[in-house]
Amino acid sequence: MAPIRPEIANMEGAAALPRKNGELVFEAPWQGRAFGLAVGLHQRGGYDWEDFRQRLIAQIQASRCEPGGPGYYEHWLAALERLVLERGLVDRAEFERRVQEYRSGLRDEVF
Amino acid sequence: MNGIHDLGGMHGFGPVTVEADEPVFHADWEKTVFAGFAQLAGQGLFNLDEFRHAIERMGNARYLTSSYYEHWLSAYETLLVEKGIVDGEELRRRASQLSEDPESIPRPQPQGDERLAPRVRTLIQRGASTARRVEAPPRFRVGDRVVTRVTNPRGHTRLPRYIRGKRGTVEMVHGAFVLPDTNSRLEGENPQYVYSVRFEADEVWGEHADGGRSAIYVDLWESYLEPAAEAGRAR
Amino acid sequence: MERHGHHPEPISEVEARVRALESLLYEKGLITPEAVDTLVSAYESDIGPLNGARVVARAWVDPDYKRRLLEDGTRAIAELGFGGMQGEHMVVVENTPTVHNVVVCTLCSCYPWPVLGLPPVWYKSAPYRSRMVIEPRAVLREFGTEIPEEVEIRVWDSSAEVRYLVLPERPEGTEGLSEEELAQLVTRDAMIGVAKVKAPAAAR
Repeated sequence: MAPIRPEIANMEGAAALPRKNGELVFEAPWQGRAFGLAVGLHQRGGYDWEDFRQRLIAQIQASRCEPGGPGYYEHWLAALERLVLERGLVDRAEFERRVQEYRSGLRDEVF
Repeated sequence: MNGIHDLGGMHGFGPVTVEADEPVFHADWEKTVFAGFAQLAGQGLFNLDEFRHAIERMGNARYLTSSYYEHWLSAYETLLVEKGIVDGEELRRRASQLSEDPESIPRPQPQGDERLAPRVRTLIQRGASTARRVEAPPRFRVGDRVVTRVTNPRGHTRLPRYIRGKRGTVEMVHGAFVLPDTNSRLEGENPQYVYSVRFEADEVWGEHADGGRSAIYVDLWESYLEPAAEAGRAR
Repeated sequence: MERHGHHPEPISEVEARVRALESLLYEKGLITPEAVDTLVSAYESDIGPLNGARVVARAWVDPDYKRRLLEDGTRAIAELGFGGMQGEHMVVVENTPTVHNVVVCTLCSCYPWPVLGLPPVWYKSAPYRSRMVIEPRAVLREFGTEIPEEVEIRVWDSSAEVRYLVLPERPEGTEGLSEEELAQLVTRDAMIGVAKVKAPAAAR
């Protein structure tokens, strides 16, 4: 079983993982996937966790908190995308194309 | 009923086994079953006492050899069929069909039908208290010596076998609550006061009580209790 | 699982972005689906402080709150915003140097959901339900909790609709900790009564 990193599980303040009665809350499956991707990529050496955390905080602080506006995991995903693109782990054009393919239904594989 | 669910004091089940880092649900189907309770009971299809009694009726061997959420599933099957809400034959046929071909009946997808969700949310947040107001005062007071009745009903009761015919002391008066014995048969809420009664270990188990001081506190409805004949004894 | 050949259900923008990222990262060997699943499960089962832990920590730091909690558990727990299904009637029982409380439901699995979440499998199991009322010391010993013979063990069988929460003793050496730090120490098992709360040095 993968060890829990407290610097991930116990982030505080705006970056704190949403929990209910102690348990992580994913309101939709994509949120769990986004969580797993960010942590997994970090564990594979893609980046320091602090780098991701700072970007997450920056996303949260930059947004205006409207009701129905971006939630925690929208910010999480945005931080991950920026990190991955800026590091060149994924090429921007390739990413946009892939998003389109999923949106249009051309692709529908689920892993 | 004197079913297998009434486990207090039994021997032979072995050590308590603890699964480290156990997930809340071991499989997706458990989530579906868990979520079913608030929806079905929340709509008044059955009450909690009927639900518990249905589990107690599932058969002793089945009870011991199936998992917790299988107990819940069994209760839904029993109650929904008994009440004519679901046809038993159709249920069996679909289960068989899905066993052979899981894709043959598509899973229902969320379609933005918000009729039930708000009620369920309210139920989760506010709960569904079975406390009721009763005109008459409680029969017993804190400090009273009581004895539990010896009774062996075939229907649902919350008087465990291990505590029947035992003497204890009233420690708390909780207020009046719906009586499961009648509510489980849809014969009325019949609310009665519930008492926390303290029983000394040696009173309950005799010479085989665990070493060291211990006592058991059981929550009991008024009709489960009689005043104890003798005066209070020293603890 | 692949779903070729079906009419794909419409997916949202954000889902498309996650799937796009996922698929690209997998293709490049930067991450595997198994690793992602394992990680999510691990973090999901790393439960943070339960609501009950916050109640306990508050009672430890605030003697007036503790008094209210022991007098009317439901109301005091509701002060912190917790309550609801299977927690409509709460009674909090306090562990002291002379009394150790532990909770069971011999007849089924009654448990205070709003403060402790859903019960672990062992709490609902035949061994726990049968043995806790007849040999509490032996069962506690199996959990690694040794209760001296002169300490009274009170076993609470949740046979009606009242739900019980154990207020564990505050461990030695925690005087300097904040309420939040205290809450992190309080385990579910301590609030059921099968364990005691350990001070930070011992907890590591």
